[in-house]
Amino acid sequence: MCSSSSNTRSLTASFATLAALSLLLAACAPAAQPAAPAQPAAPAQPAAPAEPAAPAQVRDFVTWYQYDEKNEDPKSDERVGNEYLRRTIPQFNEAFKDKWRWINQPQPFDKMDTNLVAAVQAGGDVPDLMQAGDGSLIPLLKNGAIQDLTDWIKAQPWFNDLDPSAVTGCTGPDGRIYCVPVAISPFIVFVWKDHFPNGYPKTPEEFKQAAEALKAKNVYAITFFGSTAFDGNGATRFTNMLIQSFGGGFDDGQGKMKLDRPENVAAIQFLREIVAAGYVHPLSWEGTTTPFVEEEPMKTAEAASFPTGIFGYRYVNPLKAPNGKEYKKGNEEDMLDAITAGDIFIAPLFAPEGKKPGCGIGVTGFVIPTGAKNPDAAKDYINWIMTKEQNPDWVLGPGGGFPALRSMLPEIEARKPVAKAFYEQAAAAVAASQCRPWYGSLERRDEAKKIIQTTVYKLVKEDPTADISATLRAAEEEYNRGN
Amino acid sequence: MFGIPARFTYLMATQAQAKPSALQTTFRRIRARGFFSHTLPFWLLLPALLIIAAIQFYPGFYSIWLSFQDRQGAVWNFVGLRNFERIFNSAAFRESVGHTVVFLVGYVVVTIFASLVIALLLNRTVKLSGVYITLIFIPWVIADVIAGLVFGLLVVPEYGLFSPILSNPTLFPPKGLSITSDPAPRPWIPGFPFPPAPAMYYLILASAWRALPFVTLLILAALKTVPRELIESARIDGASSFQALRLITLPLILPTLVVALFNLTLGGMNGIGLVFTLTRGGPGTATEVLSFLLYTIGFSRLEFGRAAALSVFIAIVNLLLILLTLRVSRLEERVQ
Repeated sequence: MCSSSSNTRSLTASFATLAALSLLLAACAPAAQPAAPAQPAAPAQPAAPAEPAAPAQVRDFVTWYQYDEKNEDPKSDERVGNEYLRRTIPQFNEAFKDKWRWINQPQPFDKMDTNLVAAVQAGGDVPDLMQAGDGSLIPLLKNGAIQDLTDWIKAQPWFNDLDPSAVTGCTGPDGRIYCVPVAISPFIVFVWKDHFPNGYPKTPEEFKQAAEALKAKNVYAITFFGSTAFDGNGATRFTNMLIQSFGGGFDDGQGKMKLDRPENVAAIQFLREIVAAGYVHPLSWEGTTTPFVEEEPMKTAEAASFPTGIFGYRYVNPLKAPNGKEYKKGNEEDMLDAITAGDIFIAPLFAPEGKKPGCGIGVTGFVIPTGAKNPDAAKDYINWIMTKEQNPDWVLGPGGGFPALRSMLPEIEARKPVAKAFYEQAAAAVAASQCRPWYGSLERRDEAKKIIQTTVYKLVKEDPTADISATLRAAEEEYNRGN
Repeated sequence: MFGIPARFTYLMATQAQAKPSALQTTFRRIRARGFFSHTLPFWLLLPALLIIAAIQFYPGFYSIWLSFQDRQGAVWNFVGLRNFERIFNSAAFRESVGHTVVFLVGYVVVTIFASLVIALLLNRTVKLSGVYITLIFIPWVIADVIAGLVFGLLVVPEYGLFSPILSNPTLFPPKGLSITSDPAPRPWIPGFPFPPAPAMYYLILASAWRALPFVTLLILAALKTVPRELIESARIDGASSFQALRLITLPLILPTLVVALFNLTLGGMNGIGLVFTLTRGGPGTATEVLSFLLYTIGFSRLEFGRAAALSVFIAIVNLLLILLTLRVSRLEERVQ
């Protein structure tokens, strides 16, 4: 009897232990799968204790930006976007005070896509809207992380006002639209006027002559993103501009990489020559250790020109002109002021006779993630951003480019007179160039850009005597093996 | 023909009656003590086992499954060995294997040699040896990320502490040395990245600095077990200090050195913190080791299938290294 009772106790204890462990494991299990995109929104989260209580029907609208409104550091690289959010979050909350409460969750710009895919696939909390560019489209689409917005976007009153190239940037390989373009970022050249008093060179030969003269004054003619940092992001910037200027490209129009072509070989040969001659600032190649360090010589006028995306004006500050004049607000207005004052001008890149300057183009806007709890909030937000009151601020701040809505440019210039010269010069540079996305028909864009930039780096920096044509052929074959 | 002779079965039967078998005793004990109390060690281990299963086995098996899949929208598609094929056929993989080998050889050799020298010095009776040991231990408690950032700042061309020395053309002709951007010289063997870029030497140095305390303490502990009388006898017999070290001390601490060697190899192969913060695989791809390539494919390009295939490859190499470590350890035990 006693033994039986002991056994029963043992078994009971065993089951109790198992039950406790099961409860523990259940508590640690991942959250439930996210709601289907079209499902009605989930109930609102309770308000944070420190904040004033919101009305019961007000729901959270969660965004992922690369900016952090709580970061008030004036030296932060993202100060322009941070300040923009600080200013507009209260405006949105006021405009939708009975409906939505905007909560921004800042994300590092080079981790946003990864974090979103991880959240979607793990069934975790995803934002209602994420800031994204056309470069993110394919990886997010391939991983099922974003919603098809075609039907909704086409039904919006502002759709027909969108620049067709912006819509193309948001269109997937299946012809559906997956992001909402708000700003277009062509690639142009920022130039110190005192270093190029007769204007920016029109041809590679003119550039070499001017660069030689600058070299005599201990000034580098150019600085650019030449490193392989950020998985070869340099391929989307100066490398692409230069290749396009020489009439080359990266693809065959059918989804295959095509690097070995005479125009590309000529462009890389030119790059080798200007590097060997000492016209390129050495920091152009340093980005792997110190990201975006190539901007520094432009800030101090140690380098005379800086080809980059138009968005670069937000980051290249404060500035010190060759004549000693300083622009030291420490925000995007420094570049705008320098352009207005005539110390800096915007130009298209040089191109050989008979060719149009190359000019990559990118799109910035929004995606609505798969499993977003409040897609309606995201749509309300996008419509709010597309209004005349809000769009200029977004385009000048987080967008850093031309407005995707064609009717907005005069509005922006009227709103911010200091931007007038900037936009006029940028528009002229774009008009003089042939602007197209760097990736063409390539689908595995992240892999492609790494292969391209690594190859260019090898040919120019590691082995300047290597056969350009053979090396380019080997690189394209490597990409095409994955097709 | 193969039956048991009758007299043996009789004997077995009588012995069985006289003395219960070990199995019977065990069952009797179970019955006597109760199931739970007998299996108590298992229950105590269960939480740890479940945690290990959750964080080791499940992700491990999931990675293997993933390595045969490719994501298309919301679904995974079975692609067989295509992910492996694409990984093994890529130049990036071949290059990163070469970089990993160069890094590991440099890292292990530098760390073990430096640790051995420091441990031999500390093994002598010196004043304030406790202070030295504490100081040497500091790099061990610094996170990889912090160490990487600090080492990075030291060599930034514009304002790094070592920049005036590195950029001196007299010391490094013809135009100074840039750790962060100078490419690798032309390889001696085509396709194998040796000699490496300056950044690789720097990465090895930073990694060795991080690992130095642990290996030093390991070797120091082993040195303390070497009988002093043996060394003294050898010295009396006319052996020099170097001969005593080579013929007595080193053979006796060899098992520890082997363990250190494999530990460093495993750690170096899987470590990414320093690469990520110090060089990000650059300049070019000069320091792109396997672990960094894995990170790039998985978390930058979001190609989880290919990343999983690469991780399976790395896991197999790790497994082989572990088996080799165990085998060498057993051989050493037998020799001793």
